[in-house]
Amino acid sequence: METLLEKIKDRVNANFDLKDYKIYTDLKRVDLFFNKEHIPSVLLYLKEQMGFRHLMHMSVVDWIEEGEFEIIFFLWAPKEKVKIFVKTRIDRDNPVMENMDNIWPQLNTYEREFKEMYGIEFPGLVAPEEFILESWSGPPPMRRDFETDKYAKDNFATRPGREDAQDVRETIAKRSGEDIPDFAKKYSR
Amino acid sequence: MKREKATTLYIGPQHPGITGNMMVRLKVEGDTIVGARTEVGYLHRAFEKLVERRNWVQSFTMMCRFCVPEPDPVEESYARAVEMLDNIEIPERAKWIRVLVLELARISSLLLWHAGQGHSLGLYTMGQWSVGDRNYILDLFEDLTGARIYHMFIWPGGVRRDFPKGFEDKVLKTMDYLEKRLEDYDNLLFENSIFQKRTQGVGYVNPEKVIEHGVVGPVLRGSGIKSDIRIDDPYEVYDKLKFEVPTQTGSDIWARALVRRVEIRQSIRIIRQVIEKIPKGDVYTKVPNPQKWKIARGDAFARTESVRGEVGMYVASDGGAKPRRVHFRGAAYVHAVTLLEEVLIGQNIADVSAIMNSLGTCPPEIER
Repeated sequence: METLLEKIKDRVNANFDLKDYKIYTDLKRVDLFFNKEHIPSVLLYLKEQMGFRHLMHMSVVDWIEEGEFEIIFFLWAPKEKVKIFVKTRIDRDNPVMENMDNIWPQLNTYEREFKEMYGIEFPGLVAPEEFILESWSGPPPMRRDFETDKYAKDNFATRPGREDAQDVRETIAKRSGEDIPDFAKKYSR
Repeated sequence: MKREKATTLYIGPQHPGITGNMMVRLKVEGDTIVGARTEVGYLHRAFEKLVERRNWVQSFTMMCRFCVPEPDPVEESYARAVEMLDNIEIPERAKWIRVLVLELARISSLLLWHAGQGHSLGLYTMGQWSVGDRNYILDLFEDLTGARIYHMFIWPGGVRRDFPKGFEDKVLKTMDYLEKRLEDYDNLLFENSIFQKRTQGVGYVNPEKVIEHGVVGPVLRGSGIKSDIRIDDPYEVYDKLKFEVPTQTGSDIWARALVRRVEIRQSIRIIRQVIEKIPKGDVYTKVPNPQKWKIARGDAFARTESVRGEVGMYVASDGGAKPRRVHFRGAAYVHAVTLLEEVLIGQNIADVSAIMNSLGTCPPEIER
């Protein structure tokens, strides 16, 4: 298995500028790292020339401390039964990634989601404006620096008469006239 | 020929035949669909955001909620991804119990599919029978896990507990009952001429495009491609079990129904083997205190075969006590969006629900 994974890595390396790689023999998996401009041609090559026809998944990880988003494409070769994870990094402040739904149509759905949830732009993406979020004007909510609690307090009002229902323990204690038990106090707001 | 004026028709967000809320905006000319667009946004619960603020074990309690009709494959893929990340080896018996739970979940979900496929075509008796029979599977889940729908049973390190007393016997009796009951299902559904006429040639998926489209599971197998993660990329103890992967070449609702008809029988076969061969031993490996459990930086991706096809769980760690990223991919993420929008073109309005059910549409998988 290690030889097969090495061969795959060497073949890709001979054609593209491979930045780094990692092989996991027991998982039948090889991770390949590229600069983002190589990604479309790498994916097309892997799909058309090397039998990685099945796109299992695409994901984004927000590495906020490093100022980057990591974009990962998970590919599977049904014949060789091995996985390749193609990884790249893009600038978090100017997140732009090439639209690749012409390679796998399902990428259109992923790109729509990442545009909404992480604010990543995919120039040329043809899709309706909204996917999951409706009339959303706030920052992209899956970014690590999105403050859920603050956003909710700033944008949504509490229902009149229900202000005290934010903490169930306090409400119950107030209604029953009893104190919150000591062990539960640390969980109360 | 005079072209009719196209009308926009909204189907959903409530549907007969699928679990969860989702809308399909159709453009129709007469009864014929000329354009379709999937619209979601009714179910987003931000699970993937919430788990970033919970530790590895707290996060696990949310996994089953990603998909209501079949939560166990999601639990299993998360547990296995975390085990891959932290190099945890689980006991052999736990792997066999996991397979039993996964196969029971498959049967439960396939019984729901019978109900949905029947309902979507007006055959309500099918749903009454199969949902009733599903309760016997839920009884088994209750005995084993304490819960009927969301089990939270397969967790990082193994499973939560061993079989209760007399459980194996009860499983075998339930399987015997179900196997006999499937003959009635054949008479009611598969030999029903109306069901055959309404499904043959309807909801055709182009077999040449299935892999490029990311199609998985019964939809792929109904297009003539023999593919099943349990055999192609075996996990737990599936490589020690004997079962068949059915295929059909029709690529329509009927072909997919025939695939599922065999799959439920294969799950019964697997469960009997598990009960026969399961070794004795522990059912979990001790994992660190959940409040102090830190996992080294890295990532893992685990796939599990659900009734709708493969589901995948990507988990990334930054070296801390909470996941940096958990990202789930369900079969419906592809089947119910890009594939459905293409398959619906040229179909009749009356067949939309049946096609959605046949493709394994599960809206909670799309927006998590």
